[in-house]
Amino acid sequence: MFEVLEGGIQTTVQDFPGRQGLLDQGICPAGPFDNLAFRLANLLVGNDPGAAALEITAGNFQTRFEEDAVIAVCGANMQPKLDGEPLEMWRSHRIGAGQTLALGAVHGGGFRAYLAVAGAIDVPEYLGSRATYAPGAIGGFEGRALKKGDRVPTGAARAGSAAAGQRVKPDRVPTYGSEWVVEAVPGPQSAPDYWTWNDFDHFFSHPWKLDRNSNRMGYRLESHGWEWARKSGGVAGGHPSNILDNGYAVGAVNIAGDQPIILCVDGPTLGGFVCAAGVAYGAMWKLGQMAPGRDKINFKEVTIDEAAELARQTEDLASAASIERV
Amino acid sequence: MSERSNKAVLAETPAQNGRPKVVFRSAGDRFLLAEFGEMALDLTLNFRVLGLNQRLKDAAIDGVIETVPALRSIMVHYDSTTLAPATLIAAIEEHYAALPPVEDLSIPSRAITLPLAVDDQWTRADIARYVQYIRKDAPNIINGNNIEYAAMYNGLPDAEAFVETFMATPWWNAANGFFPGLPFMFPLDPRYAVVIPKYNPTRPFTPEGAVGIAGPCLAIYPVPSPGGYQLIGRTIPIYDAQQRNPAFADNPILMKPGDRVTFTRCTDDELIALRERVYDGSYQYQIEDGVLDVGDYLAGLQAIEPEAEAFRRRQQEAAEQTPLP
Repeated sequence: MFEVLEGGIQTTVQDFPGRQGLLDQGICPAGPFDNLAFRLANLLVGNDPGAAALEITAGNFQTRFEEDAVIAVCGANMQPKLDGEPLEMWRSHRIGAGQTLALGAVHGGGFRAYLAVAGAIDVPEYLGSRATYAPGAIGGFEGRALKKGDRVPTGAARAGSAAAGQRVKPDRVPTYGSEWVVEAVPGPQSAPDYWTWNDFDHFFSHPWKLDRNSNRMGYRLESHGWEWARKSGGVAGGHPSNILDNGYAVGAVNIAGDQPIILCVDGPTLGGFVCAAGVAYGAMWKLGQMAPGRDKINFKEVTIDEAAELARQTEDLASAASIERV
Repeated sequence: MSERSNKAVLAETPAQNGRPKVVFRSAGDRFLLAEFGEMALDLTLNFRVLGLNQRLKDAAIDGVIETVPALRSIMVHYDSTTLAPATLIAAIEEHYAALPPVEDLSIPSRAITLPLAVDDQWTRADIARYVQYIRKDAPNIINGNNIEYAAMYNGLPDAEAFVETFMATPWWNAANGFFPGLPFMFPLDPRYAVVIPKYNPTRPFTPEGAVGIAGPCLAIYPVPSPGGYQLIGRTIPIYDAQQRNPAFADNPILMKPGDRVTFTRCTDDELIALRERVYDGSYQYQIEDGVLDVGDYLAGLQAIEPEAEAFRRRQQEAAEQTPLP
């Protein structure tokens, strides 16, 4: 059990891969926005990589542990401190009952930190997952972000998992800048049938600034005057970005009128705007570390095969192969 | 410049043996979109989609995580590190080719009756906030509601005639999506196929349970949210995360694709009482199991086609005379 002293901007319980198999009911997967740092944090403390842990957005989270625990903090550098002393990130630590962990503002690149506790966060499963989907008020801790005064239960650590004193191999610690290359596959509604080739080339060559008004549902990019290959959306509506509603892929780049919006882990599952490209699954973690209002995205066109290879690389990075004893 | 090929289209199966064409499109490296027929409002495409979707579910293809049916498409979520798109496409084509002719399909379809408070106080309040904060001169808002505009746009004499018209048809739930359990429903009876344009700009507030129409589609809002549909009234919850009623015992979501919804009118006070009974668990949702026999349905359509055509013509003429939002 730990007590929340300061909830921060948005701190939620997540698990990975979140709620699967419910897109046809309108339920998004949720889960950690950066699934790489999330899984590494869990592996460090001896949990399953997908076990329930905290996602701390933009910093300023404080908690006091009521029992001894093994913890790890990965992701953006929020200068974590244990009872005021700096706590090394990307490494597991044994801490004592009554100690206070404080995360401050993000220092340098990145936007989200992950706090894993050996034994995982012990909230009930809802529809097969402990991930918080705040817009639908489900999962996690009472379906919402944590706030001051919450007492969050943790499970028993696995027998024999003396997980303190592990670290992520230094050459496998991800680095976060402010200009990102994000691999993406064209489609389903791309050129030349929905976009012109000029639109296509602009999308894959322009550095897209991430709008301040971006969150786990959608990452808004700058509006652009697209040429469009069609004059109108026909039966689906007046604007050429309109289509008859179809399923939306997680990570789809939706073009709503003029504005591209990347549909993220809490995004809508179905709708009536074209999706011109899809962020490669193996690159989704990068979105979670982008700072709205600051970072830029350069989309790099890849094939499905190249994206599948990238997914294998990301899975390898998010595996026990990245962990060593100090 | 050399010819550039459409990288999103992975395969196309032409129309054959009465089956509409299929276009397979990549949607990232973990999703494949199969689109059926042309971009048209044709419920027979949805009947095929729901029939094929059930077959794909039953087949449990290795590497397929889930399928998402919509009006004329199925989005397949798969693991491209173990299942190649070409293999997946071949499997879908095989199941599509084995699908019986559309008139031979029968689709599990529950008949659901929902109470509806028309022009209710809650949707009126959010419409008033829209006028106050977003747009004062929206032509789709007359006397504080959207229904009088809907009547004009459809060539109907008054709000009451519009309400009677859209309540005269059962509404077919083609797909759930966007938000948890939000149904996208279309009129089964084309004699009452009303059409209304969307809000412009969209409305920041909509009450949970609001019933709205945009284009030909009727939706029920499962949670308070922004929205663009013209609001007609409010019903009882179709989503309850806390699962406070036996109807939500297994699932917080009421509606399934293939459900047919009919509305009956109630007053605001009656709706308040009904909603309380939903949450205390004593209300029993009116749901009857059944099937839609597509052959019977299509035969019935032929008989009413002249009336449907007359409605469409009047609707289109009126729409041309009506200002857009």
